[in-house]
Amino acid sequence: MNAFALAPLVLGLPILGVLFNGFVGRRFVEADRSVGEKWSGWAASIMALSAFVIVVLLYFSLQANGHHAEIVPMMDWISIPSANFHIPWAMQIDTLSVTMMLVVTGVGSLIHIYAIGYMHGDPNFSRFFTYLNLFLFFMLILVSGNNYLMLFVGWEGVGLCSFLLIGFWFDRTNEKGEAMNANAARKAFVANRVGDLAMILAMSLTFWTFGTLNFEPVFDSAVEMFHSGAMVHFGAFSASLGGVLTAITALFLVGATGKSAQIPLLVWLPDAMAGPTPVSALIHAATMVTSGIYLIVRSNVLFEIVRESHALVLGVISSPDLVALVGALTAVYAGLIAFTQFDIKKVLAYSTVSQLGFMIAAVGMGAYVAGMFHLITHAFFKALLFMGSGSVIHGMEHGHHHISHGHGHDNHHDHFDPQDMRTMGGLRHHMPTTFWTYLVGSLALAGIVPLAGFWSKDEILAHASANSGGINTVVYILLTIAAFCTAFYMARQVKMVFFGEPRHKAAEHAHESPRTMTMPLVILAILAILGGLLNFPHFGAEAEAAHGAETAVVAAGEHAAEVESAGGLNLALEHWLEHSIASFHLTEEGVVEMPHTPTTLQIPVATISSVLAIAAIAIAYFLVYGSRPKTADERDPLQATPIWWMAVLPLNTLYMGYIVPAFNRLAEWAAHTLDWAFWHDFVHDNIIRNIFVGFANFASNVLDAQGVDGIVNGSGSVARWLANQIRRSQTGYARNYALSVFLGTVVLLAYFLFMAR
Amino acid sequence: MGLLTIVTFLPLLGIIWILLQDKEKDDERVKRIALGTSIVTFIATIVVLALYDKSEAGLQLVDRVSWIPAWGIEYHMGVDGLSILHILLTSFISMLAIASSFPIIKQQVKQYYSFLLALEIGMMGVFLAQDLFLFYVFWEFTLVPMYFLIGIWGGKDRVYASIKFFLYTMAGSLLMLLAILYMGITNGTFSLPDLIAGRAAFASAQNLLFVGFAVAFAIKVPVFPFHSWLPDAHTQAPTAGSIILAGVLLKMGTYGFVRFNLPLFPEASAHYAPTIAVLAIIGIIYGAIVSFAQRDVKKLVAYSSISHLGFVMLGIFSLNAQGIQGGILQGINHGISTGALFFIVGIIYEQRHTREISEFGGVWMAMPVYSVLSLIVVLSSMGLPGLNGFVGEFTILLGSIGAASLGPNAWIYTAFATTGVILAAVYLLWMFQRVFMGPLDNPENKKLRDINKGELAIMLAFLLFVFWIGIAPSGYFALMDASVAELVKTVGSAVASLP
Repeated sequence: MNAFALAPLVLGLPILGVLFNGFVGRRFVEADRSVGEKWSGWAASIMALSAFVIVVLLYFSLQANGHHAEIVPMMDWISIPSANFHIPWAMQIDTLSVTMMLVVTGVGSLIHIYAIGYMHGDPNFSRFFTYLNLFLFFMLILVSGNNYLMLFVGWEGVGLCSFLLIGFWFDRTNEKGEAMNANAARKAFVANRVGDLAMILAMSLTFWTFGTLNFEPVFDSAVEMFHSGAMVHFGAFSASLGGVLTAITALFLVGATGKSAQIPLLVWLPDAMAGPTPVSALIHAATMVTSGIYLIVRSNVLFEIVRESHALVLGVISSPDLVALVGALTAVYAGLIAFTQFDIKKVLAYSTVSQLGFMIAAVGMGAYVAGMFHLITHAFFKALLFMGSGSVIHGMEHGHHHISHGHGHDNHHDHFDPQDMRTMGGLRHHMPTTFWTYLVGSLALAGIVPLAGFWSKDEILAHASANSGGINTVVYILLTIAAFCTAFYMARQVKMVFFGEPRHKAAEHAHESPRTMTMPLVILAILAILGGLLNFPHFGAEAEAAHGAETAVVAAGEHAAEVESAGGLNLALEHWLEHSIASFHLTEEGVVEMPHTPTTLQIPVATISSVLAIAAIAIAYFLVYGSRPKTADERDPLQATPIWWMAVLPLNTLYMGYIVPAFNRLAEWAAHTLDWAFWHDFVHDNIIRNIFVGFANFASNVLDAQGVDGIVNGSGSVARWLANQIRRSQTGYARNYALSVFLGTVVLLAYFLFMAR
Repeated sequence: MGLLTIVTFLPLLGIIWILLQDKEKDDERVKRIALGTSIVTFIATIVVLALYDKSEAGLQLVDRVSWIPAWGIEYHMGVDGLSILHILLTSFISMLAIASSFPIIKQQVKQYYSFLLALEIGMMGVFLAQDLFLFYVFWEFTLVPMYFLIGIWGGKDRVYASIKFFLYTMAGSLLMLLAILYMGITNGTFSLPDLIAGRAAFASAQNLLFVGFAVAFAIKVPVFPFHSWLPDAHTQAPTAGSIILAGVLLKMGTYGFVRFNLPLFPEASAHYAPTIAVLAIIGIIYGAIVSFAQRDVKKLVAYSSISHLGFVMLGIFSLNAQGIQGGILQGINHGISTGALFFIVGIIYEQRHTREISEFGGVWMAMPVYSVLSLIVVLSSMGLPGLNGFVGEFTILLGSIGAASLGPNAWIYTAFATTGVILAAVYLLWMFQRVFMGPLDNPENKKLRDINKGELAIMLAFLLFVFWIGIAPSGYFALMDASVAELVKTVGSAVASLP
């Protein structure tokens, strides 16, 4: 069976949802709140679920097809024949894009259903689902396009949806009267645009280097040019392929730091938590923020060529190494900041940044499958955690609602923050489903055997340690520290939220969320437990045997996929993705396709990270937070330690404290002083006008008085006469000057034409 | 009398008909006549499009008769790939500008619509004239109706703005007139195709001649630092005037560069390309920064034009197919998006009689439909992929990074130009947030009504092209491909011959 022709429906269904909710959804909700919400919410959810079903069909079609990438053309987009510039709207259905689409539509569907419960009662219920479907549409374009420009459509489109959804409650203000949701939305968009600048430059360079932006031809000709040692020439520019690709890949990295919130552009993601929680789960944890990883994995051929060609960014570091380093540094940095947060969602936000750092580090080291593996498991457990936190917030809000009604009106005006962990505590009794699922998610994230996060994180660490030397050793150490941080801040959070005694009346009256919210939690919890099976590693001797077998097969000129059956369940993702991710090395014979390093469980690495994780949990749970904090305003025990310095996020301070005010001052000065007072008023209204006046007088008096010849005399007189007429009119002198200048020019021209001959 | 002459002078019939109406009594009838005339003109340009053969690079549907034989001046009209989109834009924008004036203009209605239609004649002539003298006549003619539109129906500083607009653009044109007369008289013809064919005759003077034309066009565009007339004219003009100014009049400048400077003086074009590119890039950045600090929405939109037109200029002086086609298309896109932005500003101004950004906030809650449509236009102006602005912007940047005319460091130019992408998001979203988002706390704003059917129809007309050009621009590129390819051949060899 072949379902490739159905692929455009994956994009069409969410758009159908957008149209439904955008045009009629609101009327349904306004006509009858409870029924209308069901229509609106389920219409959107069914579109997401149907898209998921189609992606599953695509999955089977690919399997039946021998995993060959299928291009599904839809229509022409940009085409300039004389420049040989052609960009289609076409989908590329291969194992990588289907993997991403499964995550997006699968996790996306669950979040849609969850949001029906979460957004219940919101006055703009249908608008929310319009945006959610629109997001799905752009995210699917991003991962399914067959060229960079389509990827970029999705890339900016999801940025737009992120803007709209972060700013969903755009009328909310904080105590200072700042519209912080709207500010956060704008900050996210602008930070992403910095990355987009790099993307545009990278795409332009790619086009001139390879003559196309379609993935397959770009990669094919990249390999070919690398093989033949061709130089890159366009316009008046020429450079080595390695040099150009270093620029392109470094620019892709900048793009990825914007979208995937890495150093130095990560500052928008924590603020983005102002959006509704389903948005945080869908966009800012599971899908959109992983776009940067997808971009790098998709461009793996380019990164590998750079690695092989030994070209350096600014003569310092090769671009894949830079990717790995940025990822690893971000992982540690954000992991440390997560310690210092009191907002339940901000902890998760920094955790997301940190985990994205793991993925970026992985793909930078060339461990593409490990990066994708972590992307998938992270989508499961981080979506779970965000939705769990949403359930907690929901519960706290209801608890607060309950007490403020119970005790009259005096509580209405306090600034109760339902996201502040200091007001929580003891919620495990009030919200059992949320608690257990949250616990599963936390342990998965902390990397505890045998939950999903353990396997995927271990694979990244194993790769770093197995290929040690150079940057990988640094990355290994940084990521191990980051893994320790992860376990610590999650244990801190679980302790503060669910254990101990309630620290606020709202927490005492919190209650479990409705079924539409808890059901997705349970499903995701199951996935977070079993997710490791996706790419289950080999163990010990079995691994050696499999490794030998694969090498032998490659040596015999066969494709590594032939040994897929030998692995069985093991490394399923590896074998699935290897059809989209090339792996090659430069040898004396040129480019040779290589199998991916079969991943075995590295017992020492796994032991170290497990011990560290358990130690971190123990420290967090028993030592630091043993019996404290007891009341909502008690200090966090960590506040006495240097770790708290991280709370003052230096990057955010740099941007918001220095760059933004400097830009504001520059703009004020440019607009009001330079452009208006100086250029507009002073220069134009004084200097240029005076020159006009002088020139006009010259034309009508001097030239005329001296009488160059008859014609000139005549025109000069006319000018003076006209000038006198106009001078009397009340509209001022301007027309006079205009006319004089005009006639003066005629005079000059006449002189030029007739006298100069 | 050929089709192009009919297209150009069709509005004249409307003007005559309007002037025959009874004084002041028949305002409604005058509006209908004006709109009807502009619709017929729009249809006539569609007919031109239908008859136009896009595979042909040269002039088509040519009307050519002798006018002043002694001077070699002809009445010579023709359409090719460089002008076809411009005349469609002219008739389209004129139509919407007239429609948008209905609820706004209540005084001297007859004169107002007569001037609008007269302006359409001038603009159409500028884009179709193939004789330099004829071109100059149309070029200067457009100043007159615009001068009165600003000066009579404009805002409170309208007199100052209209005089400045008139003087500034006219002063710039005088050098062009000199250049035109020089070429025409030395060659005995003012015909553009003949002059292009015989350009060897004035090749030695081409740097000077280039400058003569360039100053006139640069003021019109406007290229930094010749932009000082623009904020006055754009903010003081009535809504329809602003729509036409931004939508079409500025394109006369960019069109002039493509139509005259490039083919007449290819070596000079290659020679000056880096200089103009630098000015264009300064314009992109400077216009955006200055926009950001504006307190008046309309002025913000006005300054944004400087930034956008910088992109267009950069594309044109990339002197390759991507750059020039992207530049022309981005000119069209700017006409649509910025025209729509001025229309949007007009809607809210008519209700609140203020354009101060600080007066607004939370408008989305009062006017949801209006706000969503405005958001789409803002995004189109920001160059969101999938909408029209991105297609032009990307092809321009693509052209500039591969521009031989900018030398081996073309990528540096491009990198600076691309910062405009960030800055556009900065100033447009900041404006959007302060006007549409935030709390709806000004009681005046709570009374705002959402857009009515007429306004919706105009907005949808703009949005049709926002999406069409964004999603399927190939048809637009195809219209100009042959002519631009021919032009690139000419300038390309000039670039190649640069030392």
